[in-house]
Amino acid sequence: MINATKKWIFLKISGALLVPLMIWFIINFIAIYDQDFNAVKIFFTSSVSKFLFSIFIINAYFFSALSISEVFEDYIKNDKIKNVANKLLFASGVVIPSITIILISTI
Amino acid sequence: MENKSPLSPHIQIYKWHISSLVSISHRITGIINIIGVTFICVLASLLSLGESNYEMTYLFLSSQIGKFLILGLTWSFSFQILSEIRHLIMDLGYGFELKTSKITGLIVICGSIVLTVTFYLIGKNFL
Repeated sequence: MINATKKWIFLKISGALLVPLMIWFIINFIAIYDQDFNAVKIFFTSSVSKFLFSIFIINAYFFSALSISEVFEDYIKNDKIKNVANKLLFASGVVIPSITIILISTI
Repeated sequence: MENKSPLSPHIQIYKWHISSLVSISHRITGIINIIGVTFICVLASLLSLGESNYEMTYLFLSSQIGKFLILGLTWSFSFQILSEIRHLIMDLGYGFELKTSKITGLIVICGSIVLTVTFYLIGKNFL
């Protein structure tokens, strides 16, 4: 299997997984976004919320990294710039969810 | 080594159709969503740093601008959900006929507004 096919399959699997996670997250976020510190903290204290939120952000960054790299492929001609952009994209897709998951695990 | 593969022509040279509108909007909402998710990651991280660090976020989100941005993010999520489902159906080999493609494109555009209102009402009234 060539890399482009693997990338397409990962994109489709992560996209399909993201749909129910987005629905779950946005409904819950609407319920808490204008609440005070304690109400928001209660949401993130729940182990179910922590687990689903962690899966959601990992999947969202994975999906976005794959789909934004497609945009780079379509519109950036210079290979060096494209490689740097892709590396920054994938690095942020690892670093941001990791830091967030570590920090919310301490709540 | 210089990449010889062709680049996509600039979107301005195409005549706009519903399919192209949905396609470009899918990409734009994808980028908006990841910016939104990054903001939410910052918000979640601030929670772990204590109440005083969360105060500014609370004031911002409970303001009119905050509410407007959350409504916009809800629409962006709604659009992405419907558009992703449309893409997955097309990947299974359905919906390529011109008429069907226009109808599903319209469903994504109009449905995203209906879904935004539905999510908002469920989030505010049932949770």
